[in-house]
Amino acid sequence: MSIMLLYLSIFCCFIFSSLLIINFILFLQPWIKDNLINNQRNNIIGENMDFSFTEEQELFRKSVREFCKKNLAPHANEIDENGEIPHQVLEEMAAFGLLGITVSKKYGGSGADFITAAIAAEEIARADISMATAVYYLVGAGWGFLMDRYASEATKEEILPDVTKGKTFLGIASTEATGGSDIVSTSTTMEKMDGKLLLNGAKTFISGVREAARYGGGYVTIVKTSPELKHKGLSLCYLPVKDVQGITTSIFKQMGREGISTGTININSVEIPEHYLIGEWNRGFYYAMEGFNCARTLVAAACIGAAQKALESGIEYIKERHIFGAPLAKFEGIQFQLAEDFTKLEAAKLLVHKAAWMLDQMYTENRFSNNEINKAVASAKLVAPTAAFDIIKDVLTWYGAYGYTREAGLERGFRGVYSYIIGAEGAQNIMKIIIGREILGKEFEPY
Amino acid sequence: MDIIVCLKQIYDLAQIKIDTSKRPVTEGVARKLGDFDKNALEEAIRIKEKHGGNVFAVIKGAKDAAKEALAMGADEAILYNAGTESLGTAHILAEIIRKMKYDLILCGEASIDEYSFQTGPRLAQALGIPVMTYARKMEVRDGGVVVERDLEKTYEVAIAKLPALVTVTKEINEPRIPTLIQILGASKKKITETSPSKPDAGVETLSILAVEMKRKEVILKDVEALAKVIITEK
Repeated sequence: MSIMLLYLSIFCCFIFSSLLIINFILFLQPWIKDNLINNQRNNIIGENMDFSFTEEQELFRKSVREFCKKNLAPHANEIDENGEIPHQVLEEMAAFGLLGITVSKKYGGSGADFITAAIAAEEIARADISMATAVYYLVGAGWGFLMDRYASEATKEEILPDVTKGKTFLGIASTEATGGSDIVSTSTTMEKMDGKLLLNGAKTFISGVREAARYGGGYVTIVKTSPELKHKGLSLCYLPVKDVQGITTSIFKQMGREGISTGTININSVEIPEHYLIGEWNRGFYYAMEGFNCARTLVAAACIGAAQKALESGIEYIKERHIFGAPLAKFEGIQFQLAEDFTKLEAAKLLVHKAAWMLDQMYTENRFSNNEINKAVASAKLVAPTAAFDIIKDVLTWYGAYGYTREAGLERGFRGVYSYIIGAEGAQNIMKIIIGREILGKEFEPY
Repeated sequence: MDIIVCLKQIYDLAQIKIDTSKRPVTEGVARKLGDFDKNALEEAIRIKEKHGGNVFAVIKGAKDAAKEALAMGADEAILYNAGTESLGTAHILAEIIRKMKYDLILCGEASIDEYSFQTGPRLAQALGIPVMTYARKMEVRDGGVVVERDLEKTYEVAIAKLPALVTVTKEINEPRIPTLIQILGASKKKITETSPSKPDAGVETLSILAVEMKRKEVILKDVEALAKVIITEK
């Protein structure tokens, strides 16, 4: 009996002490929350990590989207079918400040940073997913920025205001018949002669040749100035195309982004004024690499804009389209693809926006080394076109036979985005070489 | 000439979904300035560009709405966040506007979420100034304002001395879309946030629910029967 009482009293003590402890913990809970958990959070939260755009950038996106919806999207089909962006559209884009957006205000630009320029690229590609208008925009924004930084004052005053007004075209002439990515083997030459510069050679697979020959304007052109010095023997110059003695052009018929031409520029003893040299003699390789980083970021941005549009229309479609009595969206075969595509796009967006942000930090705060910038930009350019291509392909497939028609407007995105997998502004394998080189060091370069 | 434009930031109706209890789901839905309100702002900016002066945007909404109005060309923005229906809103606006100097007040003909068409006229009454509604064309001249009022099948030309209030239709103009330079320029302009005292409007909003459309659920056998019903219903 006494043992039973002992057990009972021990049990009661246990229950009582447990209740006491629980009450004590409950009593302390607010204190624990305030002083332990919150403190821990405060230690985690830093000031620099913020994934939001500024109010101005958000407003700008809204503005560009509205502008493009009204002035560009209604022409998207015609741009692809007729193989031409109506000049009126370009004039309206210029009046809205989109052409040469990164060029400083002094030459008629908006002095936009790269995050803002990327937002515009996304929205333009969203309205015309063939990428034609995005290409017209981004070569001007990327290489216009480079000219603004390194071209002579006389060249800038002569060339850039007409580019920002939409009167003339500005692009990049790098690729030659022997290849595009290997710019050290550039064979187009430039030499000094009687106070002028003399060019000989040929550039091919160049965007905007017909536009430059028709409207005027020209190219940031990579030329060999000291063949014995390899990459240190390259220079950059501005090469006009319209009505220039010694220049002949021809155009390719392409698989996609037909609204902007691609062609060849033959350069036969072409004379240009000395002030058309961009930056210093034999420093062209470094300027070109910088320009490629700017343009590649905008290419990647255009790809995510086209993909975003395709995915949004796909989401609407799979909710509306019924099969076997249920919307397509209910089938996991479709839903899981959507989940993967959404994630791919989010990942690509993060890489693209980070690359643009790093460029802005480099130009305004002198942050980040070339190594870091090269890796970030090449990663964005590696991921975004492939993600966009996969997403557009999936949405096109969800649409079924309708997706295969031109009326659905998806196949032009499919054809256009593929140009950025092939290699415009750098092939995907070149991006991998850059990333590998920047991680491992130059001694691991395959060439 | 000092012009006051009244604007409201509203949810993008195209993005709103209705939940099972008929309540609109506004979480995550983008907001924008009312369509007709933007027509009013555009008209005010055009009048200012012609006659000089200042445009004050009085906005029910958040800071991003103020920035958009300033980027479009307003000189100053006054923000408030109160009032859920036209009578209360008109009283709040009157309270704010009485402290301001103005020659002309412009409003959209209606907000595209409520469509009551009443805020402008009620505001004019509260301020004791003439009101002209549904303006599809307007001109400021000789200390007055001449308005072409859209009355659907016909129109009416009305004239009022300033100060006056005009509500505009979407036909009056096409609102400009701010460029990057205008957006960046707007960040230097003044935004004032104000908290008006709660006016006794006599109307209390209990809930906002989706409109319920009751179907008659009549099944007709053929087209002829349908035609008959349409004709007789008309």
